[in-house]
Amino acid sequence: MELITLSNICKTFKVSQRPQGRFAALRGAFLRQTKTIQALDNVSFSINQGELVGYIGPNGAGKSTTVKIMSGILTPDSGICRILNRVPWQERVKHVANIGVVFGQRSQLWWDVPVKDSFDLLKDIYNIPLPEYSKRLQELTETMQIGSLLSTPVRQLSLGQRMRCEIAASLLHNPQILFLDEPTIGLDAVSKLALREFLKTENKKKGITMILTTHDMADIEALCSKVLVIGHGKILFDGELSELKQLYAPFRCLKARVSQHIEPFPVPEAEQVSFHGDTLSVVFDPGKVPAHALIEYLSHHIELNDLVIEEQNIEAMVAHMYKELSL
Amino acid sequence: MKIRAYLSLFRIQTIADLQYRLAALAGATTSIFWALIEITIFTVFYTYSDRTDAGLQAGLSLRQVVSYVWLGQLLYLMLPIAVDSEIQAKIESGDVSLELVRPINLYTHWFTKIAARRITPLCWRGLTVIIAGLCMPQAYRFGPPASLEGFLWTLMAIFSALFLATAFGCLLCAIRLSIDWGNGPIYMLVLIGQVFSGSYLPLQLWPQTWQRWLFLQPFAGYLDIPCRLYVGSMPEQAAAVILLQWFWIAVFVILGKLLMAKQLARIIVQGG
Repeated sequence: MELITLSNICKTFKVSQRPQGRFAALRGAFLRQTKTIQALDNVSFSINQGELVGYIGPNGAGKSTTVKIMSGILTPDSGICRILNRVPWQERVKHVANIGVVFGQRSQLWWDVPVKDSFDLLKDIYNIPLPEYSKRLQELTETMQIGSLLSTPVRQLSLGQRMRCEIAASLLHNPQILFLDEPTIGLDAVSKLALREFLKTENKKKGITMILTTHDMADIEALCSKVLVIGHGKILFDGELSELKQLYAPFRCLKARVSQHIEPFPVPEAEQVSFHGDTLSVVFDPGKVPAHALIEYLSHHIELNDLVIEEQNIEAMVAHMYKELSL
Repeated sequence: MKIRAYLSLFRIQTIADLQYRLAALAGATTSIFWALIEITIFTVFYTYSDRTDAGLQAGLSLRQVVSYVWLGQLLYLMLPIAVDSEIQAKIESGDVSLELVRPINLYTHWFTKIAARRITPLCWRGLTVIIAGLCMPQAYRFGPPASLEGFLWTLMAIFSALFLATAFGCLLCAIRLSIDWGNGPIYMLVLIGQVFSGSYLPLQLWPQTWQRWLFLQPFAGYLDIPCRLYVGSMPEQAAAVILLQWFWIAVFVILGKLLMAKQLARIIVQGG
């Protein structure tokens, strides 16, 4: 079942520009020049119930704008968007009762009061019946391990603690859709892993549809089955993560530890050969040269102590993809 | 039960604001100091000016002025002197988007928050000012109300003034929602509101010919009307005066709501 459908959504912003040249600041005070920026250019996609979608793209590509349109905050210039059979910006109040939003860089908790007070307020705002609220709170406190934090004022929480509370806050009302805008920003490795695990189980257990924007590709790899790539306001890729890898990261990297020092030498059909200390790295395309042939070739030339073949790093893949698409 | 949500919002905002007791007491010193200076100046004018009866002719004796100044200092704390700082910060940082993902009306949401923030200064800071006023030597003392009936009307007028100040505060927020406009229009509006509220000079002491207009304009309802009811210098019917306050509340609410709806349709939240 299609839960979210966007078709041909466009959004432009006007940005003021100071004129260039002599006395520019002075002239700028009287004459305003504006530049129109096409933040979203005919964005179309659809998302099914229960999917966990990664939404990636470089800074300024239009990710947050899309999320803001889907959460009813912004009104697009043109295009159709239906979420749970509503147009978000036309029926904002009804729409947002069914969604949860986490903006990694913003806080929805009240700075000066204990976390529990913010939760109680959300209970009243979302009109959650008390028994349901208590049950849900209990559940979230256990899985997010925030029981001991509930009576602490938010200003005294660490970033990781706060983020756990933020996520709990956005799920109190059992939303059907959860938008996560860079939820792992600034978190340490342990918190990140815990958060990913939590999101995965929530998605499986409750069937919450999640849309995750992030710059951390490990998030995407760990969580998302479907990936949307946006650049310059256009959707450039919409499909499985494995397809994306096939397209942009067909290469494998063979790393071998060698016993004696040797000079770099050419390897036929290899994309790239390099040495780091006693490790030889060979980047190759399994389509062109199969791994066994490569290993055979190498073992004729040098003594191989140890050997691994890795998939290309997903960060590198995305960087390569952004470059290729000239983003 | 949306009412519950708003009451809860009001509660949490009050709790959050009442935490800063020391700041409130420090603020009270400013208010007390200011009241004493004003009273001194009025005393000088009432005693040594060429026409010492001018004030009386305007219907306001020195004793009445002294009480007016103290009550005025209290009510001044309620006046919006800028866009609500927290909402302003939310607009500037883009956190306003978090307010918009709540399933409640933004105008009522902000109205509740602003109302709470108009009341909280009256608690610690306001109470200190009033107690200080009551403890002053005779010439500077905050006197009793003119009559019990007048006092009850004063309480009602203060209650309405709270709504008036809040509705005006909401209007300012609606204007400020467009970040490109900056703070210029706000400062102008706020200044006009302060001057015509009577907080600098009781409106009765303004030129005779302006009196009718001064009484009808919206900002008298902030401060001048409750103070006049307290000191017993209100020539009009008290009930009519309160009706006038509510007329302006309605005007501000309607304007604020219309403007906010318009601004929200083209709101832009940039960055992150």
